[in-house]
Amino acid sequence: METIGVHVDRVSKRFAHRVKGEIYAARDVVLDVHPGEFLTLLGPSGCGKTTTLRMIAGFEQPDAGHIRFGGQDVTRVPANQRNIGFVFQNYALFPHLSIFDNVAYGLRVRGLTTDAIAKSVSEVLALVGLTGYEQQFSGQLSGGEQQRVALARAIVIRPRVLLFDEPLSNLDAKLRVQMRQEIRDLQRRLAITTIYVTHDQEEAMAVSDRIAVMNQGSVVQEGTAEDLYHRPATPFVAQFVGRVNLVAGRVLEIAGETAKIAALGSVIIARSVASGLTPEDSVQLVLRPEAIVIDRDTPGSERGQATVVSRTFLGEKIEYTLRCDDETLQAVRYNAGPSEVIAEGATVSLRIAEDAVAVLPCSSA
Amino acid sequence: MTSVAGRPVAVATLRVRKDPAIAVTVFSLWLLLALFVVYPLAMLFARILIDHGTFTSAGMATILTDRHQIRAFWNSLLLALLVGLVGTVVGFLFAFTAARGRLPRALITAIDASVLLPLVSPPFTTAIAMIFSFGPRGLVSYELLGIEGYTVYGLSSTLFSEALTYFPIAYLTLRPILAAIDSNIEGMALSLGASRWRVFRTVTLPLCIPGIANAFLLLFAASLADFATPLILAGNAFPVLPTQAFLQITGLFDLRGGAALSFALLVPAFSVFLLQRYWVSRRFYVTVTGKGAGQTPFDSVSAGARVLLLGACLFVTLVIAYFYALLLYASVVVALGANHTLTLQHYRVIFTDGLKAIRDTLIIAGFSMPLGGLYGIVLGYLVSRKEFAGRRSMEVVSMINYALPGTIVGIAYLIAFNDPPLVLTGTALIIIACYIFRYGPTGIRATVALLQQVDKSLEEASLGLGASSGTTFRRVTLPLILPAFFAGLGVVFIRSMTAISATIFLVSISWTLITVKILENITELSLGPAAAFSVLVVVIVFVVVAVIGRVLRSFRSAGAVPVASFLGG
Repeated sequence: METIGVHVDRVSKRFAHRVKGEIYAARDVVLDVHPGEFLTLLGPSGCGKTTTLRMIAGFEQPDAGHIRFGGQDVTRVPANQRNIGFVFQNYALFPHLSIFDNVAYGLRVRGLTTDAIAKSVSEVLALVGLTGYEQQFSGQLSGGEQQRVALARAIVIRPRVLLFDEPLSNLDAKLRVQMRQEIRDLQRRLAITTIYVTHDQEEAMAVSDRIAVMNQGSVVQEGTAEDLYHRPATPFVAQFVGRVNLVAGRVLEIAGETAKIAALGSVIIARSVASGLTPEDSVQLVLRPEAIVIDRDTPGSERGQATVVSRTFLGEKIEYTLRCDDETLQAVRYNAGPSEVIAEGATVSLRIAEDAVAVLPCSSA
Repeated sequence: MTSVAGRPVAVATLRVRKDPAIAVTVFSLWLLLALFVVYPLAMLFARILIDHGTFTSAGMATILTDRHQIRAFWNSLLLALLVGLVGTVVGFLFAFTAARGRLPRALITAIDASVLLPLVSPPFTTAIAMIFSFGPRGLVSYELLGIEGYTVYGLSSTLFSEALTYFPIAYLTLRPILAAIDSNIEGMALSLGASRWRVFRTVTLPLCIPGIANAFLLLFAASLADFATPLILAGNAFPVLPTQAFLQITGLFDLRGGAALSFALLVPAFSVFLLQRYWVSRRFYVTVTGKGAGQTPFDSVSAGARVLLLGACLFVTLVIAYFYALLLYASVVVALGANHTLTLQHYRVIFTDGLKAIRDTLIIAGFSMPLGGLYGIVLGYLVSRKEFAGRRSMEVVSMINYALPGTIVGIAYLIAFNDPPLVLTGTALIIIACYIFRYGPTGIRATVALLQQVDKSLEEASLGLGASSGTTFRRVTLPLILPAFFAGLGVVFIRSMTAISATIFLVSISWTLITVKILENITELSLGPAAAFSVLVVVIVFVVVAVIGRVLRSFRSAGAVPVASFLGG
């Protein structure tokens, strides 16, 4: 079966809202999912990611725009003719059917022979590690097992596109980590073009080839996890993907992508600078907590001075809240041993890794 | 772990055992149940099986070997089966259209209102309208089609009338079930390639099967117990058990025979009750949903199918509307079918000759309503929250009069309270007691259902703060179960206004009822006053239902009234 890409071309969807009147659940959404790629739609609840996914599935009709599978325009094709696999957050297993019949449902619809169905079902159940569960009912299974059945049911029909709507949200933390790895491995093995919706940035980074961050119905930034983390396009992306300190600064000098910025009472060198900036512009620095290096030794002259306001002991790491030049900063240090813990109230000096700083123009929302 | 978790409960139980208020209440309730549920039933059995102090099955045997009565038995079953089938199909049609038809809110409200109409009407309304339409001088049969001597009486018109009266029960049972089906499950089937029709056939319908079975059984039981409709419409050619029992007693003064006939009704009625309680109730698919409730359902009905569904519902709604309009019209003309001059004479008649019946009915309903509502929440609270010996059996006993066909209850009361030690025949008390113990259980069910949603720790917190169980009930529990109280209140009132099957045996010269008066009017062929009475009852009930609905809406959690409470009586 050929692997196809999915193209979402300026798709919009409006809903009537009781208070706000008409609102856009999705507004001019553009996505380009390559054949065999694993793309994640990441965003807070209400950002339009699920609506976008449901439009790709055919459960919702876009008010404007087009959706293409490979070269075929499927915008007006009903869900039951799109040949997709969908995995719901609540599994949506048929409660009146056995596990075997659940998985066989799509195959029966396609008119396969009994033998072919039995063979396919047992293969796919083996693939998700549920051999022997054929005659059970969904009520007898744990959450993780139910999710595996849902996955098996979606992939057994060899869909052109695999769609996941927050599939791990109903599982406990440990199982979530395990299942996301299984989903990733399975997707690689089957090389099915996959679109995955989640609000959990860690999950998104763990499973995806690329991530599209959505906010208020629009795609804000698209890229690999590294791109989004190190070079966020907006403060929203910076704050949504990972933890961050946004610090006000002023451009002193700029040369290509490297700039000297006055911030935190000293000069900080940044290697990743948004284009179009000129000296004297006000900017925002994106500082990840782990990029702030705390030195206890005697402060050097050009280094920023900071006071430890509080600390949170988390075992493997210790989080510090620092006060530096009227800015409050979050910093994190790995716990190398009890003697490494810094007392509250101590004065320390800060060092910031040059290539870990991103610079955003102040105007960007 | 268990010992830690078990401890607070143990403390609470201990407190209850020491609580004299609970003990007194439990004792009084048992006394009342013994007197008004167990004793009459025991007397009914005794009357059938004991003759002059000796045990005999002769009375039973004579009646049950009578060919005419055997036919009545099978007729009853056949009618109930057909009403169950037809009513469930129509009810499902309405429920599916309302749940999946993407109808505008106004249209759903209209459907709900028209469906409510048969549920709160006195028992003869559709039957009278049938006679007006299809009787010898009927508007449709005679005036419109010009058929002379058309016989309206028999199976088909009884079936038609009962199905129209009872299908709303199926609608109210099935609609929440359809609405509760996670739309993702249907969406899933669709995404796996199934057509809409296939989704309906392989997913939606199978998920409704327990609900459909339940609706069928409710309708079966309702038809089995229905007395009013067959009395008017079945005619001599199609005798059924409840009317036979009635005629045996009022016509032939054969109390034992009537009792035996009503007993024959008990067997299928009780089987249905058991099936419902122990089979259907366990087969409901519990769909645990994390998300999805807020999802917009996908287009599960195609445009063409939607038009068909809507058309079918509209047709049934129009028939109902036509029947009620006809009833209203008949109440304001001299004689429908003969003289269509507008007049208020029928209303004058019911407010003069019939005034006593109206006053009696309102007094009886006025007393039954608060007492029945109170009985419902007190018993419901005790059985769902307190530990005492015989708790389960109290719940079961309290449901008996509710589950039995009215004919049996009426005959049992007639037999039990006619002789010492307790002579209540001819008093209002016997009718009030009948209503409380027959319709109060609605409040019990509503209370139990509500309390299942209220965490026990709320009451434990109050007990832990040193409040007595009485104070806890008054200050914590009562405000939470007030919706159930009003729901119970409403049902007892509606039924007090519209019931006849049990109380027809209990009325007297001193105390009579509107429904009985309607029956008298019909047998005397004064259909005008009968129609006027029916209109009056519908209006009163609608007003009271609206008021109670308003009160219920003022609570945040709506009281869930079990649908079965609308069973005809």
